Amino acid sequence: MEVMCGKTAPDFEAPAYLEGKFTNIKLSDYRGKWVVLCFYPGDFTFV
Amino acid sequence: MSAVAVKREELESLGVQVLTISVDSKFSHKIWQEEELSKMVPGGVPYPMLSDPGGKIGRLYGVYDEELGVNVRGRFIIDPDGVIQAMEVLTPPVGRNVSEMLRQVRAFQHTRETGEVMPSGWTPGKKTLKPGPDLVGHVWEIWKPDMAFD
Repeated sequence: MEVMCGKTAPDFEAPAYLEGKFTNIKLSDYRGKWVVLCFYPGDFTFV
Repeated sequence: MSAVAVKREELESLGVQVLTISVDSKFSHKIWQEEELSKMVPGGVPYPMLSDPGGKIGRLYGVYDEELGVNVRGRFIIDPDGVIQAMEVLTPPVGRNVSEMLRQVRAFQHTRETGEVMPSGWTPGKKTLKPGPDLVGHVWEIWKPDMAFD
């Protein structure tokens, strides 16, 4: 599946940390909301 | 991440859910939050910090660097229908501009609500255009390139 503007974002599920708790996040659970998905290289990097 | 966290209230008022994601484990996210992020922003990062071991999700989004073994800085704005409206990808040394992300969210929300389109450099309050047959060939009459700059 190719990622492209104007096309559906590929769905995924991932383990996550949120405010003191471990949880699971599924992208499609946020249908009906605006989502900003931010990839970054790694924890403890400088910028 | 901390720069996105300080805009928490603004993002909430726009109805935006932020998800952050790296190849680190959820345990690493916890320690980063407790040891560093919470010292940069009161309460730390208030968004789910997702774990993508091996870059499986990063590959899906075309942002996983096989050589570095990390996801580069990819930012995707996804609308309520699950459609990607904007994407920006940077290599690791340069951070993103959160204000520009907020501007784009506002612009995409505005076009979704009104059908109007936003010319180059649009910020809230600036002129929008209403697409239609009457506008064809007449944009120059109502919009000038210097309006793209503050």
